Amino acid sequence: MGKIWKNLKANIKREKLLTIANVFVMTITFLLLGTLIFVISGSQTALRYLEQQAQISIFFKDDFSEENILGFKSRLEEDGRIASVKYVSKNEAFEIFSQINKDEPVLLENISPSILPASLEVKALNIGDLRVLAEEFSQVDGVEEVRFFEDIIDRFKFWSNVIYIIGFVLVAVFSLISYSVIIATLRTTIHSKGIELEIMKLVGASNAYVKNPLVYQGVFLGFVSSFIAGVAMVMIGVIMKLYNMFDYGLTFGFLPRLYIQPLVFSLLLFVFLIFSGCLLGLLGSYTAVKRYLKY
Amino acid sequence: MPQIEFINVSKEYEHGSVALDNVSFQIDPGEFVFVVGPSGAGKSTIVKLLIREEFPNSGQILVNDEDVSMIPQEHVHDYRRKIGVVFQDFKLLESRNIFENVAIALEVTDANDHEIKNVIPNVLNMVGLSSKMFMYPRQLSGGEKQRVSIARALAHEPDILVADEATGMIDPDSSDTVVEILEKVNSLGTTILMATHDQKIVDKLKKRVIRIETGKIVSDKKGGKYRG
Repeated sequence: MGKIWKNLKANIKREKLLTIANVFVMTITFLLLGTLIFVISGSQTALRYLEQQAQISIFFKDDFSEENILGFKSRLEEDGRIASVKYVSKNEAFEIFSQINKDEPVLLENISPSILPASLEVKALNIGDLRVLAEEFSQVDGVEEVRFFEDIIDRFKFWSNVIYIIGFVLVAVFSLISYSVIIATLRTTIHSKGIELEIMKLVGASNAYVKNPLVYQGVFLGFVSSFIAGVAMVMIGVIMKLYNMFDYGLTFGFLPRLYIQPLVFSLLLFVFLIFSGCLLGLLGSYTAVKRYLKY
Repeated sequence: MPQIEFINVSKEYEHGSVALDNVSFQIDPGEFVFVVGPSGAGKSTIVKLLIREEFPNSGQILVNDEDVSMIPQEHVHDYRRKIGVVFQDFKLLESRNIFENVAIALEVTDANDHEIKNVIPNVLNMVGLSSKMFMYPRQLSGGEKQRVSIARALAHEPDILVADEATGMIDPDSSDTVVEILEKVNSLGTTILMATHDQKIVDKLKKRVIRIETGKIVSDKKGGKYRG
């Protein structure tokens, strides 16, 4: 272990500037990757939150009796496309309205429960059914108006997708740059150690003896860069915890019921980044050794 | 049984020049053999083939009855540890001191520090450089550098020592010292194959001389001289 560390230090010292450039570029890559994962998870958590809110509100005409509304509610509850239905009576609507406008007594004086319509708040199992359901509801007798959040959710989804695509492209581009920089660094090491490697070969060094230090160097560069980015991610996790952001936890689309606390999430991300860093370093160094070390 | 055996070995380089043409010879354990001839005759090619830096186009090279060309790549380093090599240009690392330059031969075998500290002073003593072990190559003369190179070749006690123009870059007095060391090593049982065009040394030592010209052996005499 001492020998490996000694070799590593000597190589890094010899190519100080190239090493710094390498760590810099790779750190940017892993910062982008970590941030992208945070953004994806955050936006998916927000999307899930939006989906869990009342998605369709059906407002009824004043002459449509409560009995009729409740009958309609029962029919909706049997519909396989619907997750839940909640009845909001005129009085409950007034209470909600009063709560929202509690600082405007003049407005409240002029409003009575009879003015506000009774409504049903409907959540669909699949957000894609919202438009069809809304059209069906609007054709039902006694329905005054149907409002739904499809536009907001659609817009949110669109911009989330734009962020994902830009993020992935950035991560891919920087991964490629990092990979190339690792190869360039190790190529310089191989060339500068040309005579040393030749002597080692002639006095009976095994392939592994010559190649391993170069591979360790690549892995070390990946490790240092991903460690720096990982620490930044943990700091984001700590800030989220301090400001009680995403208190309920962060989630991913493909893990429907799993919510992870931001701090735990950032620690998992730290481990993931370290793993990715070492892997990128390993791949880069293997390529450099294969391409430039004629052994 | 011969220790080194070249059987009908031919070597042609990619650009078409023939370095060796159907060369055969045998060297017994403990022999001291000069391979002589003008520049480009094929002397260095024999060395390169022997340490498996090159492969022959045809023929066989046997060392201790093992076909050198057939050694699997992953075992070549084991084979090379049995052969010490000394080069005309010394091949020393300027950034390492003499002790470290010699120690590299043991470091690659994963020898521990204790072993290295025991062996290196002994081999440096053998070549008369124990007082200079912490000096750097730039502080040494050409002859001394070559003695360091010999010490490195001897560090893992090889069966065979191959010297390629080992006196080519040093003054006549230093050449004598280098050859004296090689004779001493030979007297301890190590087989020596020395490629050279240093007529004075060859004539002085009166060892076996294989003369090679344009890739072919033109004479092979025990107690021979440079010119036959």
